[in-house]
Amino acid sequence: MTRKLILIGVLAAAAVAATGALARSSATPGVTSDTILLGGTAPLTGEASSAAGVAKGADAYFKWINSHGKVNGRDVDYMYLDDAYDPARTVQDVRQLVQQNNVFAIFNTLGTNNNLAVRDFLNQTSVPQLFAASGADTFGLDYQKYPWTIGYIPSYGFEGGVYAHYVLKTKPKAKIAVLYQDDEYGRDLLNGLTAGLGSHAKQIVAAAKYDPTQPDVSSQVAQLKASKADTFMIFAFGKFGIQAFLYANKLGWHPQIFVNAVASSANLMTLSTITSSKAETTGAISIVYFKDPTDPRWAKDKGIALFRQILKAYDPSANPKDGYYLAGMASAYTMVDALKKAGANPTRDSLLQAALSLNETSNPFVIPGIAVKTSASDHFPMQQVGLQRWTGTHWTGFGPILSK
Amino acid sequence: MVAFTWSELFQQIVSGLSTGGIYASLALAIVIIYRSTRVINFAQGEMATFSTYIAFWLIHDHGWPYWGAFFATLAMSFVGGVLLERTVLRPVEGAPVLTIAIVTLGLLVALNGLTRWLFGGETQVFPSAFSTRAIHVGGVSFSLQDAGFIGLAIVAVALLWVFFQFTKVGLAMRGTAINRDAARLLGVPVGRMLALGWGLAAALGALSGMLTAGSVATFDPNLMLGVLLYALAAAVLGGLESPIGAVVGGLLLGVVLNLLGTYTSFFSGDMRLVGGLAIILVVLLVRPAGIFGRVTARKV
Amino acid sequence: MSRSDLMRGGLIAALVALVGLLPLAINDFQKTQFAFVAVYVIAIAGLNIVTGYAGQVSLGHGAAVSIGAYTTAILAGQHGVPYYATIPVAAAVAGLGGLALGLPALRLSGLYLALVTFGVAVSTPAIAKHFTKFTGGSTGQGFTIVKPPGNLVTENEWLYYFSWAFALAALAVAWLLVRGRLGRAFRAVRDSEVAATSSGIDLSVYKLVAFAISAAFAGVAGSLFAIDNLSYVSPDAPDPIKLSIYLLVGAVVAGLGSLRGIVIGALLIEFLYTGDLEKWLHLPKSVPADFFFGAVLVVVIVLVPRGAAGLLSRLAGLGRLYPYHSKAGTPPERGVSTE
Repeated sequence: MTRKLILIGVLAAAAVAATGALARSSATPGVTSDTILLGGTAPLTGEASSAAGVAKGADAYFKWINSHGKVNGRDVDYMYLDDAYDPARTVQDVRQLVQQNNVFAIFNTLGTNNNLAVRDFLNQTSVPQLFAASGADTFGLDYQKYPWTIGYIPSYGFEGGVYAHYVLKTKPKAKIAVLYQDDEYGRDLLNGLTAGLGSHAKQIVAAAKYDPTQPDVSSQVAQLKASKADTFMIFAFGKFGIQAFLYANKLGWHPQIFVNAVASSANLMTLSTITSSKAETTGAISIVYFKDPTDPRWAKDKGIALFRQILKAYDPSANPKDGYYLAGMASAYTMVDALKKAGANPTRDSLLQAALSLNETSNPFVIPGIAVKTSASDHFPMQQVGLQRWTGTHWTGFGPILSK
Repeated sequence: MVAFTWSELFQQIVSGLSTGGIYASLALAIVIIYRSTRVINFAQGEMATFSTYIAFWLIHDHGWPYWGAFFATLAMSFVGGVLLERTVLRPVEGAPVLTIAIVTLGLLVALNGLTRWLFGGETQVFPSAFSTRAIHVGGVSFSLQDAGFIGLAIVAVALLWVFFQFTKVGLAMRGTAINRDAARLLGVPVGRMLALGWGLAAALGALSGMLTAGSVATFDPNLMLGVLLYALAAAVLGGLESPIGAVVGGLLLGVVLNLLGTYTSFFSGDMRLVGGLAIILVVLLVRPAGIFGRVTARKV
Repeated sequence: MSRSDLMRGGLIAALVALVGLLPLAINDFQKTQFAFVAVYVIAIAGLNIVTGYAGQVSLGHGAAVSIGAYTTAILAGQHGVPYYATIPVAAAVAGLGGLALGLPALRLSGLYLALVTFGVAVSTPAIAKHFTKFTGGSTGQGFTIVKPPGNLVTENEWLYYFSWAFALAALAVAWLLVRGRLGRAFRAVRDSEVAATSSGIDLSVYKLVAFAISAAFAGVAGSLFAIDNLSYVSPDAPDPIKLSIYLLVGAVVAGLGSLRGIVIGALLIEFLYTGDLEKWLHLPKSVPADFFFGAVLVVVIVLVPRGAAGLLSRLAGLGRLYPYHSKAGTPPERGVSTE
């Protein structure tokens, strides 16, 4: 009896599934005559929830677009689910978005491991994984294996190389110490730096790694100081970035400091200045590619004005100084660009082709002079950066835009 | 690897003492609960984090002076610890070890979520009780903060020692821990003693949280989550019964892990945590009573 | 056949029928959610054997799940072994891991064992990250996404039936184990080590066996987790620390020392974890799922120490009204085991 029931169940389920599959294959998922549905995940709760602005800022931008011209006559709906920064939840979320909500593409998912966790699935099912919010080099490098995946921000390897070239140019005899997080992120940065130094790689006199579960990095900074280096690369994130300044100051070590982009938000730098000293942080150098809403040089900038206006209209509770929202808007601007290029009747193929033929020179949220550019053989959308120097109270840009 | 210098060795010891102070202060709170109620409180770190947020809320949102907020937080944490014991632990009093371990694990997870829910998840800066200005002595740098931290931990241990050795309540608490039924027969209000143990530990945890946040300057809801395993290792190393053992164990652990991280490549970076586990295992298997614990006959 | 045997048979038939028919009632995506329920059923069954029946505290069950998941991912991803063939290997490797985890249990009991097993769970991600060449490091290890044989069912239906086939088998094996000689020995170890020793039970052997069997279950669960998790494993997916705690929540809610409530515990884990339960209860978005996990754990163990199994058997009139009043000859079934 039970066995029969199971058999009936299996057969019926198979029949339902088969008709479902037929019905679905006729149209492009997520695209109707008046909407395009995009999906993504973000840490709305949990340890990384302070970065939730990346999704919320993008969402606010799409809402603004929907009342300012739309995309080829369609509204863009962005459905972002909470993954609490847990890759296992990203998997469930993305599967839900693709299989239940039938999204057109996955856009702007935050986190290296979170994007890695769904990369195989999205590529095997031919769903575009666009503008992954992670600097890991693999999203741009491994496009032959993962043609449907593309990142957005400058890769960590490229960033490490930029610091190498700057050091070789301005201080060729520098002795470099590196603090890095013991995972792909820290290692990508360190590898980029080493590769960029080339035959001068011996000038890295000390490199100390830390694990994000330990309470502090005092031991690592003491090791680095003992190397008598005069240049200090902080490839550390969040509170460990702040501590790197704090302990260097405490040990009376005042090298030329470079701080990686993800740890260089004005908010974090202000905290670092409070906890160490103005003398320690002033003069620190980092790369920059998005307009920083707290940087006075953009006070009268049209892009920043637009950013504030959109937030006020579509996410009034958001902090207009939060750079994550701006990053989300920059990425959404590029997404709209790609969607427009994908044609009046976009398909996943045409969207991918559009995302691989970008040449965007006027993204209002990206600093002038940086192009967002891709091609079939170039899956790194941003390969230009500016440099900026911390004044003790804010960042100011200097020097020309640097390319790969 | 950098060439060996004596000044670096001393610097690593000093910085190990400073990190060890963090382990020691949380281990102390764990030991106090264990000593007075025979419970290993997995939620000790999260209780400390929650207390730290209360202090921050008083200082930052209500403009309280540091020391005012400091003592108010100690008092509130004491009350909170007593309340936790009365409401959550009391119903499972006398239950098997596993039940109680599960309850404190549940508290760990729930308190971490609650902290995030009430206070948000951002990194914040916590003011330090002492100056963080560097003092340089013969190539070794440290700050008043480091000395103050260890000093306060030692003061706390001394006060606890006096309390347990010379006061009536302290003696009653020790009696309760050793033999609940006998204590009850002698007229000791056992329930109140257990609640007192939790209150004391919660206040010590608050001290640990505030000092830790001040020492590493920043804090977030995961402030003590990473510290927990090290603090447990420190408590085991010193002997789960011994407050002095917890402090010595914590300081020793901080120094040993620093030296391993500096002079070996294996126990650096992510393997540091594994070093903590290895210490727990070795101590428990070789000398379960720890450095300062008395070896008692094992049941069965 | 006694009344309780009939009831039991009915319950099993109902479960099998439900598993077979459920896919009719849910959409394609939800089938994967229920595939994960099967994963948790297997893992909780394993945890229940070591903790509920044999009375050995394990806060490190998530580590064994992780070992199983990595075994499958490494064999399938680096050595081209078919995914289904990795499952017995995962069970064996995790079982060996469990044996190692059980070694400290020979000298330590109660709290100390809880401490060590917790330490193992906390250290597992660090070890997985460190041996990059072997495990794929923090990037994780993937393998080809599982396709159904033939085209009778969709991918998700295949994952569902495949996982549930193992879950039902695991429940059957667990049931056979705990009702037989081994189960009696486990309960004897749990209820009184002294009495067990004096009736000729070798404590060390049975403790080790309990740890090994429980970890082998976890290994199978981990292997299926890897398969259901879109063929991807990393140091934090499955997250051994979280999972150790969540599985404990599931086991406590299900009722330790009984197999009846396991599905309920597994359902709770899946739907709390994915945030669906919060949505259905219309709770504010800002409340983290962790808060509920912790709160549920505390509330259940304080108010309903025998979990769903206790409630179920009381409803079915199977259990004794008073948990601590035992029938002659059978040891009392308790919410939780003793030291």
